[in-house]
Amino acid sequence: MSTRPTRRAVLATGLAATASPLLSGCAMGGVGGGGRAPEIDGKADDKGGKVSGKITVWSWDVAAKAMKRLAGDFEQRHPGTTVDVVDIGYDNAYDKITIGLRGGTGLADVLTVEGTHMPRYIANFPAGFYDLMSLGGRYGGDFERAAWHTVTGPGGKLFALPWDIGPCALYYRTDHFRAAGVDPRSLLTWDDYVKAGIRIKKATGHKLIIQDPADKDAGIFPMLLQQQGQHYFKGGRVAVDTPAAVKALTLMKALGDEGLVAYERGWDGLVTGTKEGKAATTPTAAWWTGTLTSEMPELKGRFGVVPLPGFTADSIRTSNVGGSTLAVPAQSKNPRLAWAFIEFLLTRKDNQISMLKREGLFPAYLPALDDPHLSERQDYFDGQRTLDVFARLARNIPPVEYDKDDAKAADIMISAVTGVMLHGRDPRRALGSAAGQLARATGRKRAE
Amino acid sequence: MAAPTAPTALDRGPAPVRKPAAARGGRRRPRLAAWIFAGPAAALFALFFAYPLGASLLQSFTSEDAGTTRWVGLDQYRRMFDDPAFLKSLFNTGVILAIQVPVMIGLGLALAVLLNQSWLRFRGTWRAVYFLPAVTTLVAYAVVFQVLLKTDGGLVNQILGALGAGPVDWLNSPTWARVSLIASLTWRWTGYNAVILLAGLQAIGKEQYEAASIDGAGTVTTYLRVILPQLRPVVLFCVITSTIGTLQLFDENYVLTRGGPDDATLTPVVYLYKVGFQQLDFGYAAAIAWVVVALIAAISALQYLVFGRERRR
Repeated sequence: MSTRPTRRAVLATGLAATASPLLSGCAMGGVGGGGRAPEIDGKADDKGGKVSGKITVWSWDVAAKAMKRLAGDFEQRHPGTTVDVVDIGYDNAYDKITIGLRGGTGLADVLTVEGTHMPRYIANFPAGFYDLMSLGGRYGGDFERAAWHTVTGPGGKLFALPWDIGPCALYYRTDHFRAAGVDPRSLLTWDDYVKAGIRIKKATGHKLIIQDPADKDAGIFPMLLQQQGQHYFKGGRVAVDTPAAVKALTLMKALGDEGLVAYERGWDGLVTGTKEGKAATTPTAAWWTGTLTSEMPELKGRFGVVPLPGFTADSIRTSNVGGSTLAVPAQSKNPRLAWAFIEFLLTRKDNQISMLKREGLFPAYLPALDDPHLSERQDYFDGQRTLDVFARLARNIPPVEYDKDDAKAADIMISAVTGVMLHGRDPRRALGSAAGQLARATGRKRAE
Repeated sequence: MAAPTAPTALDRGPAPVRKPAAARGGRRRPRLAAWIFAGPAAALFALFFAYPLGASLLQSFTSEDAGTTRWVGLDQYRRMFDDPAFLKSLFNTGVILAIQVPVMIGLGLALAVLLNQSWLRFRGTWRAVYFLPAVTTLVAYAVVFQVLLKTDGGLVNQILGALGAGPVDWLNSPTWARVSLIASLTWRWTGYNAVILLAGLQAIGKEQYEAASIDGAGTVTTYLRVILPQLRPVVLFCVITSTIGTLQLFDENYVLTRGGPDDATLTPVVYLYKVGFQQLDFGYAAAIAWVVVALIAAISALQYLVFGRERRR
């Protein structure tokens, strides 16, 4: 018996069977076109509006956990309502949201979207979300301004409400610093930071920082940019080769050149590397505390927190990494209930504090930062008042402009940053060519 | 698929006579019943195959901004020539095609010949073992390779360390990431190709080996001069499907390296995914898809012409 296919049959089936899914996978109808964001009709909760029915909420990880916990409280206060919180997992979240927005169907009533992602959805799907301004606009002054900036769009529209933020500081290993005789409070500038790193490495053998320049965020590069008040675009122009950007990448190169960087892959590499004590510091956001306490309880008492070093001695000592928002897609059938749940979750001190305590979600809602809980001593940090450090820094986070082409920029910046850190390219030149490439890819001009 | 009995060197006569076209066209109109039977398949084909295909082609001539779609002609196609990431993805594909496909087909052939030996016991088990990687789920595959190739404490580096060789940064250095990708691709698909090649080998009768041996050919000569030429269509099948697979490569490099580091393992389809679903630039993504299809068609046709024709001297 033979199973030899003829060549012609082979060629035909091979081509047809394998080439077609590629094309059809990419084609989706031209739905989700232009238009305006609709408004939610009806009265606000505290003005006699009554909600009923059922909504579905999409989120992931601890955020989903927090919402599941508080959804019960909400249902009790609003009899006849059901809030179904679904953990869709971070890895697929944006694919699902993008496809739902494009297809015009299939989304939940409340979506969790990171602040950095909001602008690209607003730009590409201006009619994809409800405009919450008439209902939520009154909270504008209560939210941290950098986060508020990410959820407001052209024409004074409000596309989401900020949930948590990621004010940044420097987590450090108290034992490594002590062994090297370095006072963490003396790290006023990033130059001080590099010098301290050299001393710590000489004294203890530990490196200073764990980095993955090939990660989706190009390591600490965007954090260093926001510290200086910018992201990849400025006024719609490409701004990846500004003096601030050159300073940021030059610092990263110095860390690499001095052998202070432990290169570990992705999030898991950062967590295991920290657990194994590979690096003496982690400059990152407040939510890192949650990872430390849950993943490495055995290191209790070994960490402390100080403000980020600045680019000059008197410059801003913080930045922002991460943070989410909650939005109501225009396809929701019960936007009133969706809004009522968002309002309940995010504009009440008690709920915000419970989410900070239990899930480590640092509130963008500023009134919550005055709560006595924020000034408590933290056991894990050997009695240091770490939440207070972040609460003070949170009010100084420089707002930056996020852009719909940030994803494109991020890809190009990863190449530039890896080129400098791993292949020894010159920061200024690498950023210059990245800027040219980004300008061509997006049809934008370059900032002066 | 048509699977005619394999013509051997001895019984291959003149090409089978085809009915003249007139005779074929002389049949009556297809009856209603035929349409009813074919209907569901045709409808599904139109809905999930023909329509998306056409839609993606149209989409490749458009660009979207603030929710409105504009006709931009060939602009999206022009962008590719000036896009270092896309060009790099093509280069990476070229490297994989030039190194991985020949190595894998060669290994697959050797494996098939081994599996075809009459002294081999538990043949079914061996075949299953070598085929297994091709049907392993992606998640398991990703986890296993991440653990094996971890820079610190990964099994491969532990073995290298025991042998006195320094740790290799398998997934984070551009060069080694390519090596890792090629190795993992080979691991996953060699058995698959070997099984197909084995089927081809089994279709070749014992008398061929006997005849060759009587004519005084050694084992090597028998395989090179008698068996391999007859295996040509099957080898061609493997080469073409592997080439298509390489041009469409997504799974392996997406789970291993996400196309990094420094785009060293970026392939056109991973890039397409990033452009479409992360950068929301669907017009450009559609254009890339069509360029990949054109490339596949062109390269497959070339392989067909170069390796396929030769036999018909």
